[in-house]
Amino acid sequence: MLQINSLYKSYGQRPVLQSLSLKIPVGEVYALLGPNGAGKTTTINIICNLLQADSGTVLINEQPVSNKTKRLIGIAPQENLLYKSLSCAENLQFFGRIYGLYGRKLQQRVRTCLEAVNLTDRANSPIETLSGGMQRRMNVALALVHQPKLVILDEPTTGLDIEARHEIWTLIQQLQRQGITILLTTHLLDEAERLANRIGILKQGRIVAEGSLDELRRLIPAKEVIIVQTPEPKKVIDRARKCGFTPRPYNNDLAFWLPKHMELKEIVDRFEGVELISIARHPIRLEHIYLEVTQRAASNVLPTSASAKS
Amino acid sequence: MKYWYETLAVAQRILTELLRRRRSLIFWSIFPVSVLLLNGFILAERANLSMQQAFENAAPVTLVGAALFFSCLGGSVSTVVAEREQLTLKRLFISPLSGTSYFLGIFLAHCAIGLGQTLLVYLIAAVWGARFQGSLGLGLAILLLSIAAYVGVGFVLGTQLAKRTEDVNALVAAFGVPLLILGGAFLPSSLFPESLLNLAQFNPIYHMNEALLKVSANGDDFAAIEFHFWFLALFALAMVIAGWLSYRRMLQVERQL
Repeated sequence: MLQINSLYKSYGQRPVLQSLSLKIPVGEVYALLGPNGAGKTTTINIICNLLQADSGTVLINEQPVSNKTKRLIGIAPQENLLYKSLSCAENLQFFGRIYGLYGRKLQQRVRTCLEAVNLTDRANSPIETLSGGMQRRMNVALALVHQPKLVILDEPTTGLDIEARHEIWTLIQQLQRQGITILLTTHLLDEAERLANRIGILKQGRIVAEGSLDELRRLIPAKEVIIVQTPEPKKVIDRARKCGFTPRPYNNDLAFWLPKHMELKEIVDRFEGVELISIARHPIRLEHIYLEVTQRAASNVLPTSASAKS
Repeated sequence: MKYWYETLAVAQRILTELLRRRRSLIFWSIFPVSVLLLNGFILAERANLSMQQAFENAAPVTLVGAALFFSCLGGSVSTVVAEREQLTLKRLFISPLSGTSYFLGIFLAHCAIGLGQTLLVYLIAAVWGARFQGSLGLGLAILLLSIAAYVGVGFVLGTQLAKRTEDVNALVAAFGVPLLILGGAFLPSSLFPESLLNLAQFNPIYHMNEALLKVSANGDDFAAIEFHFWFLALFALAMVIAGWLSYRRMLQVERQL
């Protein structure tokens, strides 16, 4: 459905995308993760034909990106781009007409989209009277009105409360069941874990890791991670090294990889004689993989085109 | 057909938003009506004209100056600025909407508002006994050219100079009010001193006023207004091109953001 090959883009002397390549087959939910400034929005702008790449190709449904491919894409941008004084139905009607829908078909699409985002009872309410979560759902509904083949959701749950976030997640899962291809960008790693078939981690304009969650887990030679709080960090690190636990600098936490599953008592015993405040054991999650991969990429330990599959 | 559907969609959306908010439409009605009444009474009193003649002379200049200027020029500036502030421009860029349809949609919406104002101004003038003659087609052509010129200028100002809603009034006042006065919208150009009249020849609003005044109040034919008409037509064309180029430039700038 979407194929990006060796995409380069720079703003002046500053490179933003450096040989970015990715492929999303039909019906897949692909989460593109990365820190701010990694190139996510630039990638989306190139897919939407808002920006021209310096080199490389983007194919949507095997067609190079052009004004024609705009009809194949539905995008819900980061901000709620809605006409605030118009009602939900009027917003959908306007954008439906822009995409060439009219008459009975347009009315049917408006109804279907309102049902999809659970806003049928607010069809005639002006957007400015809706809650933040409802506006966010309307933002997604506008991306669906013309039945696109590829839906791009750019940080769809940023700034939402947990209830509204769950509503959007349910909506994305519904779209997934309908076989719609989705490119999702997000900073919320649990969102990517929950929704995506495959995940790509973008750092400094290139994909530094890509694969399903299981495939990405294989990037870390550990089964679990422990987070330790202690007034004696140096002693803890020395002891952990002796026990074969690999220290990892995750934010400000003192974290260690465990090479195999161990009972908590067994772990605590290994630190006997060292003062501990707390010790917590976690399975390897996307958060750990993300931090590991982006830190390795920053220090150029990881090859630039590293993939979980390779 | 694509362009036609898109143009209609944009025009309908703008009109729906205006109807929903109402405030702009109310002010765009109050302003020309009050200027028409003031112009009419002042002309009747100071130029020793009958009420019928005074309102026949007051209606065209009020329409072109007070009504269309603020609704079509100010309105199109506001439309573009509001799209930018609401960030809906970005959504339009992402969609397959063509720039031509967007411009034509704004033009069509303001034509509808302009025609509504025409009916209002001429109806009130008729209440005071004014009778209008001349070619309806020619009058309509002058109105449409005036609206096109105003929308074109509105695009230039809205895309290049007005970044926020607060800028709109200041910008319209700074550019507009001197041109309106010099165009004879508030004071008949027949009262201008020679030097001011020479300057007014370069003011498109003067030509809009003169053309419509001669056709609607005096019943003159095309030959009598030929110079005004062609000046206006050229100005409208230049402004539409300038508006289009400004819009293209804005697209390039906004896409980078």
